[in-house]
Amino acid sequence: MKNKLPIVLLVLLAAAAVGFCVLEAGPLSSLQSGLLRILSPISNSGSAVGKSLGNLGKDLMTLDQLQAEYERVLAENRRLRAENNGLRDLQQDNEHLRQVLGYRERSAFRLVPAGVLGHDAGAWWSTVKINRGTRDGIAPDMPVITDRGLVGKTTAVSDGMSEVILISDENCKVAAKVEGTKEQGICAGARDPVGELSLTFLSKLADLQPGQKVYTAGVGGGVFPSGIALGTVKSFRARELDGEAVLEPSADLGNLEEVYVVTGAK
Amino acid sequence: MKRILLFVLLLILLPVCVAGQDLLPGIPPFGARIQLLPILFCLGVMSLPVLPAAAFALAVAVVQGLALLQVQSGQAELGLTLPVLFFLSWGLVLRMTADATGGIRWETHAAASALVTLTMLGGEFLVLCLKRGGFPVSGPVLAKIAIPSVAALLVSPLLYTLLQGVIPRADAPGTETPED
Repeated sequence: MKNKLPIVLLVLLAAAAVGFCVLEAGPLSSLQSGLLRILSPISNSGSAVGKSLGNLGKDLMTLDQLQAEYERVLAENRRLRAENNGLRDLQQDNEHLRQVLGYRERSAFRLVPAGVLGHDAGAWWSTVKINRGTRDGIAPDMPVITDRGLVGKTTAVSDGMSEVILISDENCKVAAKVEGTKEQGICAGARDPVGELSLTFLSKLADLQPGQKVYTAGVGGGVFPSGIALGTVKSFRARELDGEAVLEPSADLGNLEEVYVVTGAK
Repeated sequence: MKRILLFVLLLILLPVCVAGQDLLPGIPPFGARIQLLPILFCLGVMSLPVLPAAAFALAVAVVQGLALLQVQSGQAELGLTLPVLFFLSWGLVLRMTADATGGIRWETHAAASALVTLTMLGGEFLVLCLKRGGFPVSGPVLAKIAIPSVAALLVSPLLYTLLQGVIPRADAPGTETPED
């Protein structure tokens, strides 16, 4: 019996290997959520330790540096106050126009703030993990934004952690429209150069200029609502069948710390 | 007893490595990421007996496959088949290498970690090119394969040193070759 034990174990191992190989997307997603559940406490603790270590250097500033920092923050505060006064008027105008146009329901979001735990170590995928999950009302396929623009959408979700695929990933496709034109296309991450976005299926004759803003088009039934900033046109070229623009993402995807998950309309 | 302890320790370190490699910052200028999982994988399969080594290789394959899983329109871009085949094949090769060298040595572990990282990243890139079309080999792409491989070569002796109390080293006096 003892001699047969290794053979039995080997057969069991082979069966497990074959079993894993034939799993479909559904069970794989469930397994992935399970893995995220295991990783969640480790990532949260690791991220907290990392941030504490990162803050150590900041705490060790000289008095001169602190004075300079104080002056800078004071000046920034004055500038923001002035800007805020101007924006209050604009906000009132904006509210009025939204009411008139009936867009309020579509463009006012319910946001869940989330902290970024870390970038995925995979070389060919652009994903990050955030410290919010199903218990915070997060579900797969929810848009993730920052104050500067669209970041991506949630994919795998567990209790306390979710994975977000960034718009710089080739697999994250977003319907987009170009400011000041009727041009619409599909925006996705560029494989090369990495970190930029590629806007395809534009008209070959599109007259796009560097600096033009690109927003989500908000196709009915899609994941992303309309009007979220995606990026800025860097260049445009006509291809054989369509036009392609290279975009600089609006959100700083390389240095994400705090993001918001759009859980629905207000 | 020591082998069981090592096996359990390696299984515990598995999620720690996955979380750890996500938390480590990218290496400029192309943001290449350090891969800790291949280093742990090499250490496990080269120091455990055949069956536990195979089980550990399967565990690494499943964890790596799930960590990279992207489901698009109800289809998994990379399922678990390729990671399972990759890690089991490398597990077999490394187990034989460890047998040939009379156990695990830090030099072979470092070289193996670099090779596994290189083939893993290169393989992922090739599979994605086949699935998505195009073959954009550029400087950043090569850097994203080469830099983590070199990093694995440099980081692996650290893990080896940390765990040398529980791994059956080839250079340790009275070390037996791992057997079933």
